[in-house]
Amino acid sequence: MAKNPKAVDLPANRLLGLLTPRDYNRLRPHLGRVPLEYKKSLYEADKKIEFVYFIETGVGSLVNTMANGQAAEVGTIGNEGLVGVPIVLGDDRAPTSIYIQVPGDGLRMPAVLFKKELARSATMQVVMLRYVHALFNQVAQSAACNHFHSLEQRCCRWLLMTRDRMQSDEFLLTQEFLAMMLGVQRPGVSIAAGGLQRAGLITYKRGNVTILDGAGLKKRSCECYGISKREFDRLLSD
Amino acid sequence: MPPNRRCAVPSEGTNLSRRSQQTIRNRILGALPPTEFAALAQSLAPVELVLGETLHRAGEPIDYLFFPETGFISALAVLSDDNPIEIGLIGAEGVAGVSVILGATASYCETMCQTGGPAHRLAVGEFKEMVARSPVLHDLLLRYVHVFQVQVSQTAACNAHHDVSQRLARWLLAAHDRSGSPELSLTQDLIAVMLGVRRATVSVAAGVLQKAGVIRYQHGHIKIVDRPGLENAARECYQSVAAEYRRMLGIDPAVVAAATLALPAA
Repeated sequence: MAKNPKAVDLPANRLLGLLTPRDYNRLRPHLGRVPLEYKKSLYEADKKIEFVYFIETGVGSLVNTMANGQAAEVGTIGNEGLVGVPIVLGDDRAPTSIYIQVPGDGLRMPAVLFKKELARSATMQVVMLRYVHALFNQVAQSAACNHFHSLEQRCCRWLLMTRDRMQSDEFLLTQEFLAMMLGVQRPGVSIAAGGLQRAGLITYKRGNVTILDGAGLKKRSCECYGISKREFDRLLSD
Repeated sequence: MPPNRRCAVPSEGTNLSRRSQQTIRNRILGALPPTEFAALAQSLAPVELVLGETLHRAGEPIDYLFFPETGFISALAVLSDDNPIEIGLIGAEGVAGVSVILGATASYCETMCQTGGPAHRLAVGEFKEMVARSPVLHDLLLRYVHVFQVQVSQTAACNAHHDVSQRLARWLLAAHDRSGSPELSLTQDLIAVMLGVRRATVSVAAGVLQKAGVIRYQHGHIKIVDRPGLENAARECYQSVAAEYRRMLGIDPAVVAAATLALPAA
């Protein structure tokens, strides 16, 4: 994607964009661009977090893996966020993992350097902790949503959240991943996606999703979409 | 302010600054370096929490942090159709009001007392002053926020994947750790709300655990008869969270419960 040459210095990651110029300039020399391929692991459960990532495009999935290997998504992270929240809270690992489920690219830096920069800047801490709060709000919402809401509602929510992160009505999304994110088997996803297709809200072919009717998806989605979105918008607006 | 909101009122206990840190059962307060504790103690007011009392409402400003001494507080996610569901438990290992620790003014969850009991209350204004002066206190609280969040995300995953008897087992273990009593006196109604299911569903799930010989369940009273068996029934949903509490805070939730019982009454 061609970039406006004037915009090159402005961070595409919105959390980086919230930092003061001074804080951002402290991080900049350490940030390196990386492609975020489908299924790439950004950190693994119970293993040391080596890098923190600032996603620019694409979506990462915060996943709890069960003993039987089944994985459940409990949150998503895109260009509004940071991959490496445990580092902000003073830990170097967590029992959760982060995988890329919608490919894109982003910036990363060694976790130890990030931790050092964070420790010396109170203003950077404020921004990062506010993000942690917005993410926690999303995870808490997932706990309720996973239990109370139908597969179709959750599927709609997930598609809308991904669209916001991608800022595009079209994105790649395999059935396998969607199934994992919704905590169901693949046939369940086929049924839910099929219903949305027949209703003319999306097309879904060979892992390619196109949202045709965002307003219609919102209507079928649960309230959780609006609640999480509001929290992130609040974070990113003031 | 809703009329049913009773703010835990200061009890007639001794002011903390005059009591030694050793008598504190709350693990966060207990883990503070003595000088930090002495500074904080002047701002802590002893309060008596009341069963069923709401301490924080989702989306509303937080006025106080609460550090429980015994018993436990439920953190609940509230959906607009008024169905709350529990996302985590807070006992003597923790603090209620985590949003404030992250710099937010409004709570992202509701917190409700599941048991009555003593706690220490800290006004948000004083908390902010303390944290600005004491990085040690802030770091300790952030570590707690991390393990609390591990509990919340495990609950989210568990809600998506596990059946009610497994979820009930996980809940009973977390409650057992914090209550310090093998005989949990909990009503079916309460458990139903926590798990977001009907009362009848709780009976069926409790029946499954009783049949497996891990609990005894009678007239709404639950007694854990085989703790390892119950841990088995809860699978990793309990284990991974307990491991995180051990690793990050250096505390074993089960040991906290035992220690709480062993300490003399203040």
